[in-house]
Amino acid sequence: MSPQRQSPTVKIDIGDGAAIPSKKDRGLFTAWWVAFVGAIVILGSLCLSYPDPYWRILAFLPDGIVVTFQVTLLSILLSLALGLVTGLGRLSQNRVWNLLASTYVEVIRGVPLLVQLFYIYYALGRIEAFSNLPPLAAAVLAMGICYGAYMGEVFRAGIDSIDKGQAEAARSLGFNRRQTMALVILPQAWRTILPPVGNEFIALLKDSSLVSILAVSDLLRRGREFASESFLYFETYTVVALVYLLITLVLSKAVSHMESKLNYYDRS
Amino acid sequence: MLQRAFFVVVLMVALGSQALAKEIVFAVDATYPPMEMLDANKQIVGFGPDIVRAIGKAAGFTPVLKNTAWDGIFAGLAAGKYDAVASSVSITEERKQTMDFSEPYFEVQQGVVTAKEAKITSVKDLAGKTIASQMGTTGYFVAKKIEGVKAKSYDEIGLAMEDLYNGRLDAVIADSPVASDYALQHPQYSKKLKLAFTIASDTPEYLGIAVNKGNAEVLKLINEGLKKIKANGEYDAIYAKWFQKK
Repeated sequence: MSPQRQSPTVKIDIGDGAAIPSKKDRGLFTAWWVAFVGAIVILGSLCLSYPDPYWRILAFLPDGIVVTFQVTLLSILLSLALGLVTGLGRLSQNRVWNLLASTYVEVIRGVPLLVQLFYIYYALGRIEAFSNLPPLAAAVLAMGICYGAYMGEVFRAGIDSIDKGQAEAARSLGFNRRQTMALVILPQAWRTILPPVGNEFIALLKDSSLVSILAVSDLLRRGREFASESFLYFETYTVVALVYLLITLVLSKAVSHMESKLNYYDRS
Repeated sequence: MLQRAFFVVVLMVALGSQALAKEIVFAVDATYPPMEMLDANKQIVGFGPDIVRAIGKAAGFTPVLKNTAWDGIFAGLAAGKYDAVASSVSITEERKQTMDFSEPYFEVQQGVVTAKEAKITSVKDLAGKTIASQMGTTGYFVAKKIEGVKAKSYDEIGLAMEDLYNGRLDAVIADSPVASDYALQHPQYSKKLKLAFTIASDTPEYLGIAVNKGNAEVLKLINEGLKKIKANGEYDAIYAKWFQKK
């Protein structure tokens, strides 16, 4: 636990979120600015030069953006909780917990998210107990459960990456297993875990567009509704894509900022 | 070398024979029983497809039906992915601005489906209720215009009916033949759902076959065929086949 001992800086590359820019990666750093400024300039100039239809489309979307954020935030909270339990379970000596967690990961990762959404909303809807589940809750449940499995693997890898000596030192100082995990391992693992968690967060935001299949009025569904009435497919999906891009770019920047703040030992 | 030459000949023959009997490709969203649907053999069947096939026979072209999701069906038409859309498309002023329509082949009203025990008998009773329809259909346009309702849009009408069946919705609006098919004919849904009423409209709503603006050649063939089958009784036979009270 002494500061002289550098903990290994392990990078976990899991997930399909946006690339997270860091100052070390000049190419990506510049690319972020190109994409961000480009998206704003294109969106802004389209809205200013052709208020009809572009401004009309943009004005149609805000409540969809709110729903997209609602789904994303609630799902991420659920998936973090599930991920922690699963990640610990995957490393646990407790056979039952370990098996449950591993099976959960195997099953969920083997079924496409879209199928899971259909399953939780429409298939389980036939069962009395689930038939009153509102679409938003079903969406959050499905996305949270799905990403919980991926998050579990991230947690597992992060916890695994902490040097064994840390646990041994804590145990020899009289910490019990739980204390070791909660007070020594997890706080350190968090730094390793954060980038891939941020990545999952961004991936989840993008995948939240799938919930439009449950008639949840998210950003994509609002766009589809607009396009299906106005027949302005090119214009509508251009705006929808730009809005998604802007949101994920801002988020990836935020994650990279958090990451550099947490990198005590790695400042250059 | 010989093989390649043979292949070229086969290809030319294949292309040539296609050119003889003109093919017209129709996009159909086969999720709209009894108007358009897939049967157990994954063939596109229904009132609409029967009409299109009869038109093809009468006007001397080979209709090819292409199953296409409703969402984006008009974008695909504009992009030239097919020649026409024959999928219970209501002829509306808005749509006429971007597409040309054949003569009408059917008149529809908007039917409202509710649970059997629901006390909804008119548009007024819908206030404060959650109602749904398929995205981009006239049913959804009607739903949105009703005051004080929460209107939801689904990808397919079947998904909306499923949610109504599961008690998540108060009513579903659809073209009357489709509404009555779900509420009256469907073995499972008909036990729990009913066709509450149809929404009266000042102007009649007709279904037509849509083609790209200015595609006079295809439109002429379709209208010709439609006129013929209406005259020779084939239209009435198809109508009776699908809509005769069982």
